[in-house]
Amino acid sequence: MEQFVPVKRSKDGQPVRYLVVDDSVFARKNLARMIETFGGQLCGEAGDGMSAITEYDRTNPDIVLMDITMPQMEGIEAAEKIVQKHPEARVVMVSSVGYQENIVAALQRGARHFVQKPVKPEVLYEVIKYVMGDDGTVANSATAGV
Amino acid sequence: MSRVPDERGAELRALFFESSQELLQALNEDALKLEKQPGDSETVRSIRRIVHTLKGDAAATGFQELSEVAHKLEDALADDATAAHGSLAEIAFRAADLFSEMLSAYRDETKLPSTAPLQKMVRDLARGPKTGGSRAEKGKPSSTAQAVWTEYEKLSMQRAANQGKLLYHIRVQVDPACAMPIAARQLVLKALAEAGEVLGSRPEAGSVEAVKQIQVLLASDKTAQLLSAKCQIPTIVSKAQVDAIELPAQKAATPSEMPATEYAVESGVECRQSEAEETAGASSHDDESAGRAAPSHVDNILRVDAERIDNLLNLVGELIIGKSMLQRTLNEFARQHPKDSTRSRFADAMAFQSRVLTDLQRSVMKVRMVPVEQLFRRFPRMVRDVAKQCGKDVELRLSGQDTDLDKGLLDGIAEPLTHLVRNAVSHGVESTEERARVGKPAQGTIHLRAYHQGNQVMVEISDDGRGIDVQKVKARALEQGLWNEQESGTLDEATALNLIFRPGFSTADEITEISGRGVGLDVVQSILQRLKGTIQIETRPGQGTTFRLCLPLTLAIIKALLFRVEQRLYAIPLNAVAEIARVQESDLHQVDNREVLQLRNRALPVIRLGNRTTEISEHHPSDRRHGKIFVLVTNLGERKLGLLVDELEGEEELVIKALDDRTVESDLVSGASILGDGRVVLILNLAAIVERFTKSRPGTGAGPAMGLLLSHSERARAAQAGTGGQL
Repeated sequence: MEQFVPVKRSKDGQPVRYLVVDDSVFARKNLARMIETFGGQLCGEAGDGMSAITEYDRTNPDIVLMDITMPQMEGIEAAEKIVQKHPEARVVMVSSVGYQENIVAALQRGARHFVQKPVKPEVLYEVIKYVMGDDGTVANSATAGV
Repeated sequence: MSRVPDERGAELRALFFESSQELLQALNEDALKLEKQPGDSETVRSIRRIVHTLKGDAAATGFQELSEVAHKLEDALADDATAAHGSLAEIAFRAADLFSEMLSAYRDETKLPSTAPLQKMVRDLARGPKTGGSRAEKGKPSSTAQAVWTEYEKLSMQRAANQGKLLYHIRVQVDPACAMPIAARQLVLKALAEAGEVLGSRPEAGSVEAVKQIQVLLASDKTAQLLSAKCQIPTIVSKAQVDAIELPAQKAATPSEMPATEYAVESGVECRQSEAEETAGASSHDDESAGRAAPSHVDNILRVDAERIDNLLNLVGELIIGKSMLQRTLNEFARQHPKDSTRSRFADAMAFQSRVLTDLQRSVMKVRMVPVEQLFRRFPRMVRDVAKQCGKDVELRLSGQDTDLDKGLLDGIAEPLTHLVRNAVSHGVESTEERARVGKPAQGTIHLRAYHQGNQVMVEISDDGRGIDVQKVKARALEQGLWNEQESGTLDEATALNLIFRPGFSTADEITEISGRGVGLDVVQSILQRLKGTIQIETRPGQGTTFRLCLPLTLAIIKALLFRVEQRLYAIPLNAVAEIARVQESDLHQVDNREVLQLRNRALPVIRLGNRTTEISEHHPSDRRHGKIFVLVTNLGERKLGLLVDELEGEEELVIKALDDRTVESDLVSGASILGDGRVVLILNLAAIVERFTKSRPGTGAGPAMGLLLSHSERARAAQAGTGGQL
């Protein structure tokens, strides 16, 4: 898989930490691999909304990649709860076209962005850079104007 | 992502195959649920979710064909009208089958099955009662393509201008690659809302119109340049144009009206959300509170190759052997140097080490434990299919699914259990007419349950069918030459019932397609013997039959009782031993050519393990002097039997080394183990011994003696195999 110029945290130059939430182990693994190519660090995984919330509290990630349809608690609700508790949370919804309205709802509830499934690494990379905004720096490339 | 080449792709595919099996299982379960409650919206949602995940995963792995079919099905399920369709369960079953076939085709790289039949079903479904278009079309038509602001919006503009804000008309072109323009619009509005106040937008907020051009009316104190940058959202926006609007300053309308727009947006979403919650039902709230109380561990799961765990367990086994070697050496040392003060320190260290070792063993064992649910969950679909084939109506009840069982055992009983469940449906439960005739409810019930009992795990399959006709079993056994008439007269019921485990036995009047193939009951029993388990049958004419599989908690390490027969060392699992009795030779009686022990007023059949125990004991003055024999009273299923042995050696934890068929020809031995001093002990297979005992014709040949002991050469080979494993 192609390698990307790593995105680091501006404040300490450490890798961006990710929480990946999806009920499909497969999807999680897939995202985890992409994160690796972005120079990020997977700090937690969850398979449903409820554990996403507890995992967020536990790991305090920089970015949450959140699936929409999951058992027990869906992504929208989890995103909302996380953002309510941590307004600084950067939640990126990951879903397919069929769930557009849910994404709209999630965005209204505080999600920062969304990517479409199947996730293209280059798209996710751009989204991550955007969502991190000033809190993220693209390492080793002072010239990179986003 | 397109199809991924290289070994990473292979790894992804392997992961996909594994995770998709679980999805298919869940799909089957939901289909069953839906069949029972057609149109249940929660189940439909769940099915859609499964299909959706499958679609996404398949697409990411590069399995386009599968992804496409799943996509079509998912779309069809999105429509409420089709979701309520009665044939949905059938379609879900077909889909599960088709997906499964496609997966195997992908895996084996063979030709993909045709997806046409399912696609046609899905199309028919979509055409169904209502001709609902796609959801996008259902939305109300857009008001305009160009921005024509309403009176209200104009008023808001006026008011904002009066407050000294700048007004902008922003045109944003959604990236053509973005397939979700509505979500994109939301994101743009969100971004702009951070920079100012959105007075209006086209399409209007909350609209489901999927247009790629967005126009926004914004009041802000930021510059046009900054707003333009704000709109440049990667992957979403391809072009943004920000124009300032000049307005003559005017008196504003009532400010209190202002939040109305936003409110409308919010309430629109509120509706959707409450709908979602309605379908999700109260359960999600219950789950929520439960989840809070005990943080879910679901995601802290590690998938590990079973081989690695086995390896770990093997090493623990070696450690246990090492421990007993140490123990023996320590005992030796203590004998030689009784005064040495290091002795007690040795002992302390030993005690500590063995405690840790026990914990270690228990932990490793726990790793191998999985809930029987993993196995049980495949049965509902199977029972449904078999019942349908037989034209019966059968309900399957499951209980104790969370009972843990060693993974090896679980895999081992999968086949026999499948056979027993099929049997229960096809032979156990009567036809609907017959049930009606005897006044039973039309629907037959099969109950599958698992539970712990002592050191064993029980798995039961009960049906409420006609039961097994013992007379018929006897008659059939006679016909098939498995027993002769004279003996069948003396057969007690339990023994007679056990005849059905004989190879080649069948009472079914016709061999059905379902139970006539695959394994027979004899295979069921031999598999259980291999797993060191037993099988019991309980049957009541007209009321049903229960097959009970009794399984050890684990296969690898057992507590065993060691004893000697003819100077050779053997062991049996300790949990099979009910008691040990010391009796006089004179307590033994001959009944029906078999030896029976009178133990506390009960007659206990006994088996002599040695060939000529009595003769040998005559040569042993010590035995003769005492005139006493050890009897191990063993439980085998519901039967009790006594084993006559020469000498007891003690109990010990044994790490079983499996013996392959080439090492030991006798099925009477189920494994071997190595003791701390390097001696090899053979572990006897009780079930097989009892089997041999009941089968052997008393009065012929060597009398009651079993002659089951291995020849010296066999023993030597076993010893080699055992120690070979250790080296």
